[in-house]
Amino acid sequence: MEWIYFVTCIAILITMVLAVVRGLAGPTIFDRVLAVNMFGTKTVLFIAVISFLTGRPDFLDLALAYALINFIGVFAVLLFFQSREVRRAAEAEREAGK
Amino acid sequence: MMTIVFSLFLLTMLVIVAVAILRTENLFTAVMLSGIFSLIMAANFFVLDAADVALTEAVIGAGISTVLFLGALALTAEYDRSPPVGTWVPLLTSSALGGVIIFATFQAPRLGDPSAIVHQHVAPWYLEKTPELIDVPNVVTAVLASFRGYDTLGEVFVVFTACIGVMALLGRVRPRRDSIKEGEFKKATDNLRHHLIPRVVGKMLVPFIVLFGLYVQFHGDFGPGGGFQAGALVAAGVILYSLVEGGVRGRELVPEWFSSVLVALGAFTYTSVGVASMLMGGRFLDYSVLAHDPVHGQHLGILVIEAGVGMTVAGVMITIFHAFSRRGIR
Repeated sequence: MEWIYFVTCIAILITMVLAVVRGLAGPTIFDRVLAVNMFGTKTVLFIAVISFLTGRPDFLDLALAYALINFIGVFAVLLFFQSREVRRAAEAEREAGK
Repeated sequence: MMTIVFSLFLLTMLVIVAVAILRTENLFTAVMLSGIFSLIMAANFFVLDAADVALTEAVIGAGISTVLFLGALALTAEYDRSPPVGTWVPLLTSSALGGVIIFATFQAPRLGDPSAIVHQHVAPWYLEKTPELIDVPNVVTAVLASFRGYDTLGEVFVVFTACIGVMALLGRVRPRRDSIKEGEFKKATDNLRHHLIPRVVGKMLVPFIVLFGLYVQFHGDFGPGGGFQAGALVAAGVILYSLVEGGVRGRELVPEWFSSVLVALGAFTYTSVGVASMLMGGRFLDYSVLAHDPVHGQHLGILVIEAGVGMTVAGVMITIFHAFSRRGIR
């Protein structure tokens, strides 16, 4: 059964490479946000599979922490864009008012 | 063999991403790529069996630092305008330095070599004596909290000092309100309350993140984790709440005075354990004298100092986040 974990790890690593390629190539920022999110998900899976491969399933704690933490960054991105939009709109309005 | 394959794979990706971070001019892209960077790093730590470090990297690198970077980015321009400098001198310097380091690795022991110096020095003693002297399953916790308690005390004070430094830069500044009316701005941009799905999911997960943080705090003797990771996790829960509900409500949940007090209180707790052990006839941070049974004293000491570490780390993260979110209103 060991080898199936190994093969899964390799497959996840290849998926990680694809996510990195998308993150590097872009072209829009949303591609990069998605790449980071996908990479985080793959890290959760990678750690889960590795912990079974090395025979220590108690390290699933870590995968759990990753899964919980992963989307906080995405929330921050959402908030960042939202406040930037409003700020730009307000600045444009002020420019027009002058 | 397996470790080497995975590590090579991950480290190659790490180098590529690091170069890309340096080359990009869009700072937002750099923030996103640095998120990927720390996830790769954390996976690599895990492959190398450093579960405690991987947990720290996951929480701080991938979670909180992205939030803080974006908070900083909201205060600055979006594009990097580096001053034009010659590229040849830095390139030559760093290539030479890299060459020296690579040359030095030929002398270094191989990965996982049991006869390496680092495995011959004090590590065998720690592994042999931990069950007898401290009796916790996670040797990392024993080394970090008891054998090397001085180092960890130093780390706590480093974090404490860093917080004071950041607050000296960011804190106590009235936000600029010349362009937008503050109430209007807060309503529109300070929170995600009118986005239904993020709001519901985010608020639902906050208690679980805090609960998991407490689990990591008190389970650190047995599994990966401890005060540093737990403090960061609890802070991540508070930060998530502040992102969803807005900075104002976040500051109502954990007021700024409270998080500042927490920073100092954690460092104070740690130090007072050391002083208490001195008063009870032992040496500074020698927990064995804290109870009748030396092993029980060690358990007690580790529990209290881990709580101190957790308080300081959580306080520092929350204080810095509040400082950013307060500055963000402008």
